[in-house]
Amino acid sequence: MMNTTTRRVAVVNSAQTVLSPAWPDRQHIDLISEAVAGALKGTGLRIEDVDFVIDSGSDFLDGRSISNCGFLGAMGAHHKEESRVEEDGLWSLSYAHDKIAGGSAKVGLVIAYSKPSESDVRNFWTGLLEPFLQRPVGLDQFSAAGLYAQRYLATAGLKADDLHAVSNRAWERAVANPYVDVAEVPGDAAFWNDPVSTPLRASDLARPADGAVAVLLASADVADQVSATPVWLTGLGSAIDQHFLAAREPDALPACAAATRSALRMAGLDDVRSFDLAEVSATSTVGELMVLEALGFAEAHRGLDAYVGATTINESGGALPADVIMATGLVRLHEAASRLAGRTGYETPGATSALVHGTGGFAMQNHCVVTMEVAS
Amino acid sequence: MTVIHQPETAEANVETMDWMAAQIKMPYTLTPGQATGIFLAELAGRRLIGSRHGDELIVPAQDFSGTTGEPATGFVEVAPVGTVQAFTTGATGTIGIILIDGSTVPFVHQLLGVEPEMLELGARVEAVWADEPTGGMLDLAGFAPLGSAATFEPKDDPADLAAAFEKVDYTMTLDYRHAYGPYYGTLFDGVKDGRRIRGVKCSACRRTLLPPRALCDICLAPTAEWVDVEAVGTVQASSVVHIEFIGQRLTPPYVYAEIVLDGTSTRLIHMVGDVDPDVAQTAAAPGARVRAVWSDRHTGSLADIDHFELLPGDET
Repeated sequence: MMNTTTRRVAVVNSAQTVLSPAWPDRQHIDLISEAVAGALKGTGLRIEDVDFVIDSGSDFLDGRSISNCGFLGAMGAHHKEESRVEEDGLWSLSYAHDKIAGGSAKVGLVIAYSKPSESDVRNFWTGLLEPFLQRPVGLDQFSAAGLYAQRYLATAGLKADDLHAVSNRAWERAVANPYVDVAEVPGDAAFWNDPVSTPLRASDLARPADGAVAVLLASADVADQVSATPVWLTGLGSAIDQHFLAAREPDALPACAAATRSALRMAGLDDVRSFDLAEVSATSTVGELMVLEALGFAEAHRGLDAYVGATTINESGGALPADVIMATGLVRLHEAASRLAGRTGYETPGATSALVHGTGGFAMQNHCVVTMEVAS
Repeated sequence: MTVIHQPETAEANVETMDWMAAQIKMPYTLTPGQATGIFLAELAGRRLIGSRHGDELIVPAQDFSGTTGEPATGFVEVAPVGTVQAFTTGATGTIGIILIDGSTVPFVHQLLGVEPEMLELGARVEAVWADEPTGGMLDLAGFAPLGSAATFEPKDDPADLAAAFEKVDYTMTLDYRHAYGPYYGTLFDGVKDGRRIRGVKCSACRRTLLPPRALCDICLAPTAEWVDVEAVGTVQASSVVHIEFIGQRLTPPYVYAEIVLDGTSTRLIHMVGDVDPDVAQTAAAPGARVRAVWSDRHTGSLADIDHFELLPGDET
C-alpha cells in the first residue's frame, strides 16, 4: 500500500567498485568516479539531469575534515546541491528519497565510499566513543562484539563454533560475488579458531574493505522513462539506541526492531517473511544474528533459523567478508536492487520484493531499514 | 589541528610513489559536565559516585538517564563492589560489564588479576585504584576478584563532594597512508624524475585539468589524454600571510597565491618567493606572471617546487 500523498521514488540504476581489503593504487576519488560513472551509464540520464547529490563517508577515515569538499568533482556535484551524511549510505538514500518524495527534486545521486585501509580502523571505532568513561578503559569494536557474543551465546545455548555456519555461509557467497575481492573461503585454522576477543574469532568479525557505491534515484515520471524495471522504494525507517554500550540490551537490538516497524508501517506490511530477498549489515556473526531477529526473520536467539526461511538472506555474502564502513548498507541496497531489476549478472527470477538493512555507530548503535519492490 | 605531511621521511615507496604518509594530531580540552566531572574528580579520593533518576541509580553518575532522559535528582556514594555481567578477553586484556551493588545500569571497565578461563558470569569484583591519580577514568584502574573491600548500602547525598572537573585534556593522533592512485601517481612520478608537470584533457570540454583525474569535474566526462604543462602561469589571487599558527611550515610573512598554469583551467596553490612581502600585494597581484623555481628536493610532490618567482610583466 503506497502512501498516495507522497510521490513514488525508484532506484533506476546503481553501481559499485570491487570491494577489496585494500585498494593501495587508487584514491577515494578514483573509486567514487568509477561508481558514479557506472550508476549513470546506460540510463540515458546525464549528470546535468541530476538535481542533487547526497553522500556518505567519514572525515575520520578519510583523514581530512569536510572531506566531501575535496571529492565533489568525482561525485558529479559541481555547482549542485550537495549534502554529506556522516552515517552509512543507506541514511543518505533515505534523505534523498524524502527530497524527491517531497517534490523538490526529480533525480538524486546517492554515493557512499570509504578506504579503511588507509588508517588504523580501531581508531575510527574508538573515536566514536564517549571519551571520559568508555574510551580510556580499552573498549573497542572487537571487545564490544565479544561482550554481546558472550551473553547472546549463553542465552541462546550456542557455542562459538556454531557461529562458523554464519561466517562460512557469508564467505562462500562472497567468493561467488565478483564484486568482493576474495578468491576462496579462508582456510587457515587461526582465522576460524584463535580468539580475537573471546568468544569471537577473526572469522566472526567483519573484514573492513575499500570501495564505493552509487545509486541513482528518480521520481516516477522520470523512472518510468529511463528504466524498464524501476525498483520502487516502499518503506524507510531508522532508529538509534543509547550510546553507552553496557546500558543497552545485552543480546538484542531494539533500535533495529524499531527501524523495521517504521519501514513496514510505511510500506503497509506486517510480516517480513513475505520479502523474497533481504540484504543485511553487521559487524560480527552474532551481530548478524541479532539483526535477523530484530528484523523479524527469526525468533529471539534463533537467528540461525533465518537462513533456512522463505526469504533469501544476504545472497551477496553480506557485510562480514567486505565491510565498507559508511557504505556497507548502500552496497546491500545496490545488491538487492540489482537482483530485483534482474540486471546482468544478478538475474533472480521471481524475486519482486526486498528488505535492506544498514547499521552505523559504535557497536551497531544505529539502524536503517529500507523496503523495495518491482512490478511482478 | 596540526596536519603533518611527511612524504620525504615516509619509510616508503619513494621509488614507486604509491602513497603518502600523513598524521593528524588534534589537542582537545574536553568538558565532562557536572555529573561525569564529579564522578571523575571523586576517583582520586577512591569513592564511586552514582546518580539517581527516579528508580534508576546510574554508576558512573550521569546528568541524564540514557534510557528515560530523566535528569539526576541527586548523587549517591556506592560501594566499590559489584558483579560481572559479561567479559571478553582480547589483545588489550580482559574487559567486563560490571554492575555496582545497588545500581541499575552497568558500565564497562577492565578486569584485573583474573584468569579468564576461571572467570564466570556473576563473579563478584571490587575496585582497584591507581597508585597515583592522574585525573581521569583510569584513576579507577579496574576491577579485581572481591577481597576485603567494604560493602555498604548506597549512601545518598554524600558529604563534601569534590568539585567537578571542568576539563580533561585529550590528544587524538591519527596516522594515514593515503594512496596516490594512478593519476596523482603519474603526476608525482613526472615531477620527481623529469620535472614534468602533467595534466589531463577532458574529452568533452577540452579543458586541461591539474591535478589530473579520471573524470572532468564539470562535465563528468572521461579524461583520456595526458598533456604536459609548462611550470609558468598567471596569479589569479594572492595573500600575504602574517599570522602564526600551529603546524605552520614557513615563517611569516610569506606570500601564497592561486596560480593558473598556462593552458590549464585549474588553479594551483603555491608560494610566491623572492618578493618583499611589503610590496607583494601589488607585485604578486592578480595578473602577475610567475614561473616555478625547482628546489633540489626530489620527493615527488609539488613541494619539489620551492616557490614561484615573478616574471617581468612583458614576458609570456
